[in-house]
Amino acid sequence: MRNLGFDQRHDSPDATAIRPAVPVTPAVRPPTTPSPAPTAATKPVAVLGPTLRFKGELSADEDFILQGHLEGSIHHTQSVTIGTEGGVLGNIHARVVTVDGSVEGDLHGSESVVVHASGRVVGNIFAPRVGIVEGAFFSGRIEMPERPAAQVRPSSYAKAPALGVALSAEETARMLGAKP
Amino acid sequence: MSDPYNSAKERMSVLPPSLKFKGELSADEDLLIQGTIEGTIHHTQRVTICEEGKVKANIGAQIVKIEGSVEGDVHAERSVFVAESGNLRGNIKAPSVCLVDGSVFNGNVEMDAKQRA
Repeated sequence: MRNLGFDQRHDSPDATAIRPAVPVTPAVRPPTTPSPAPTAATKPVAVLGPTLRFKGELSADEDFILQGHLEGSIHHTQSVTIGTEGGVLGNIHARVVTVDGSVEGDLHGSESVVVHASGRVVGNIFAPRVGIVEGAFFSGRIEMPERPAAQVRPSSYAKAPALGVALSAEETARMLGAKP
Repeated sequence: MSDPYNSAKERMSVLPPSLKFKGELSADEDLLIQGTIEGTIHHTQRVTICEEGKVKANIGAQIVKIEGSVEGDVHAERSVFVAESGNLRGNIKAPSVCLVDGSVFNGNVEMDAKQRA
């Protein structure tokens, strides 16, 4: 018999949450700062396990990692992560969409959409900020709306200096340009 | 048999309180429902509907534990447990049923003696 304490720790959602090692927020930049990952790990994240099968409409306000399969749509107000074992056949609406698994459908991110190296997306991406890590499979169209991008950027970029990350000259110029 | 309870700890999915789902749900692992589910649940392991949980669906599973409110038929291969805070409106079909004093239940209970073997 295995030690129960060990099992629990092994299966804790934090362990899964750490897996996306590439930082979620600064997706467009090369991954020089691994700082956003711990902040995501400190929050309890619900994990929908690999044997789960949903067929229908799913909506939620809390961050979760989907390791199971879903046929249908997701309407979410926060961030959704499609785990390495997760699969979605349908559209996803959320603030931040992170794909480690496979998705067939459109991704609508009001803030950003990130496809990691293990990710596979067939469909269109609509988000002001989009990151596709090298190694990821993506087939579809990307549309970045101009207006919401300017609204979202100041708030999300304001966090960067607090984390002790220096802004590049290009970003500084962009930030100053975005402000009236 | 304590095995299913032990494996329960290893694999468990939690559907958080803000989660709303409409449709068909199936899984092969333990499920803790704190959110709202409408539709059907096909399940082979344990399902627990927490106090915050609201389910309008027929549930099929090995063991079903109801602490929240359920509207629909519950079909368990092994047992159904309705806790004190539980509220069930529907029929139960299971070889073993436990209704805790204080729980609310409206419906029929069917215990098939053959399944008990």
